[in-house]
Amino acid sequence: MVNVDELRSLAAELLEQGQVRSLIGYRRGTAGVLAEPCTIAAPGEAETLVWDPTCLNNLALFLVEERKQQAAASAPDKRPVGVVAKGCDSRAVSVLLQENYFKREDVFILGVSCEGTGVIDPRKLSARLKGRWPTRVEFAGEDGFKVSAGGDETLVPARELLADRCLECREASPRLNDVLFGEVVTERGFDEPFRAAKAAQEATEDARWATWERHFDRCVRCFACRAVCPMCYCPECVVDSTTFVNTPGTSAEEKATRIRWCERSANVSESAVYHLTRAIHLAGRCIDCGECERVCPVNIPLRLLNTKLEMEAFQQFEYEVGRDFERPSLLSSFRDEDPNSFIR
Amino acid sequence: MEKILFKEKLRQWVDTLNDYEVLAPAFADSVWDYARVEAETEIDLSHTNTVNPPKQFAFPQREVFFRFERVDGVPRLTPTVPDPKPTLVLGVRPCDGRGMPCNDTVFSKEYRDPYYWARREKLTLVGLACNEPYAPNCFCQSVGGSPHSTEGLDVLMTDLVDRFHVRGITEKGLEVIERGGDAFDRVKDDDAAEVEKVHAAARSRPQRPVAEMDAVAKAIREQFDSPLWEEMARHCIGCGICTYLCPTCHCFDMNDEVTGPNAGTGERVRTWDNCQFPEFTMHTSGHNPRGDLAARLRQRVAHKFLYFVENHATRQCTGCGRCISGCPVGIDIVAVVDRVTRS
Repeated sequence: MVNVDELRSLAAELLEQGQVRSLIGYRRGTAGVLAEPCTIAAPGEAETLVWDPTCLNNLALFLVEERKQQAAASAPDKRPVGVVAKGCDSRAVSVLLQENYFKREDVFILGVSCEGTGVIDPRKLSARLKGRWPTRVEFAGEDGFKVSAGGDETLVPARELLADRCLECREASPRLNDVLFGEVVTERGFDEPFRAAKAAQEATEDARWATWERHFDRCVRCFACRAVCPMCYCPECVVDSTTFVNTPGTSAEEKATRIRWCERSANVSESAVYHLTRAIHLAGRCIDCGECERVCPVNIPLRLLNTKLEMEAFQQFEYEVGRDFERPSLLSSFRDEDPNSFIR
Repeated sequence: MEKILFKEKLRQWVDTLNDYEVLAPAFADSVWDYARVEAETEIDLSHTNTVNPPKQFAFPQREVFFRFERVDGVPRLTPTVPDPKPTLVLGVRPCDGRGMPCNDTVFSKEYRDPYYWARREKLTLVGLACNEPYAPNCFCQSVGGSPHSTEGLDVLMTDLVDRFHVRGITEKGLEVIERGGDAFDRVKDDDAAEVEKVHAAARSRPQRPVAEMDAVAKAIREQFDSPLWEEMARHCIGCGICTYLCPTCHCFDMNDEVTGPNAGTGERVRTWDNCQFPEFTMHTSGHNPRGDLAARLRQRVAHKFLYFVENHATRQCTGCGRCISGCPVGIDIVAVVDRVTRS
């Protein structure tokens, strides 16, 4: 079991001794049942840290933000940032290291094992409660989760509430860590890897397109899926020409002739371009934290797009994203035995 | 006008509105959202608030202003003011009803927006009072609303277990009730007391409280340069959920979209835009006066609780709580205004 008190005292100690400049973790929010991300700098704040099945955010996202701020700082604090990381979150850190976004010594990983369970999928809760929110969700050992809603307390089997990514998880504790809370766990036997992606491609091409057409039509283009993704760190986004950075040196000509790959209109065609471009740009980089799908206000099953590509990376190239940051990335490596049947 | 509608007769009423496009909440993809009522639809009004507010029916995310093309070398513009079917939205929660007058003000005060009003005038909102707060972040009563407010609605229905109490509020509302004919029953003597009891019970249910609502506007002005904004926006990811799902956010962008084989053929479109995107205030020079997330959070909150009050003498927040429940990182407008007011 992850002992939250031990996590808190280590966090306090790291801050006290100045080993980290700040620490990113989870705390209880005011907005409802889900924990919220927090960044603490004072040892006294460590007691607000929590670890429970509502700690959904992939906190590696905030390491990206930290790094951007460091890059802009005149006298950057060179000490590492502490971060609480689940198995999937630590894989995100691995990819960021692999891509040289920051260095290993810039981050101190307080790994937390998901052990027997994992984190909840709010949409499964919503389906169960028909849109209502519970007041509390807690771990209840191997059995599942204790859900309190409307004054009632129910024990829900893990399988029924776990996010699909947790059901399919191959590594439920962070391989990359500086300290690990809880047991080392790999597969937990809920579902085989890529089950959902495999099931989705059973349908005919027409049926698949009809499904995605419906979803792209529902997309409101809030860009939350992009904003929450630790791998979407580009300062300029190809699907959004208005993010292209203007400097005093950018000429009117350049601004006027920028290609708009994707219009602002939230319709099927433009939203398909957005989502498919994002999926392709994440191929071999998505660590399946499922945050894009989790934050989607209209519940578009975005994870299916990404896991489909990761499945191909695994099946064709035996590549597992975020497994080892010292190995080259999928797109920057070549092996003689790599399949090349698609090269004509 | 007050009537009783037994739940099994809801469909009969809807069927009398056959020249209307009728929309009702539907639970699909694990989320409540408005969907068109078809012949086979079983209307289910047990909904929490819908993910998208009804503002989209007057102010859609994409509106074509006009089409342009080049004919014999001469540009030709074709106007495209919409002419929609009358549209009736069932089950509008009172917070969302209250959002519509805010939008009406914006689209008419200085300039009457023909696109907005072409849709708005054909829109009938049938509200459903909340018998309890359906979301953990409801705070309508803190911002001057109530779970049975009629503001902005054409009809208000109240759920009385086996039947709805139906009250016509506007001309449009009276008309759709009259159209229902036999679908409705007469109100009995004790119904009024029962409605009042249900409303009073709903008002007494706890909601998220804003401690000193009247002090908020002044506090935002005073705390404009406070470091609090930075602290509160620290984990903001800069997405558009809070604004796009808001029943009163109305900012938009305009673009020319080429639809033909050359740049001379296309449409000028208005699309939703929002103050949380960096490019919202980006100048062509590259300078951005609202350059960080803190400034953007402040703008969103100040627009609702300060600028709108100064400009239109009403708050631009109806307490629906969508921006709180939908925020990926837990940014909570109730906590934000409380902290600003107390500091």
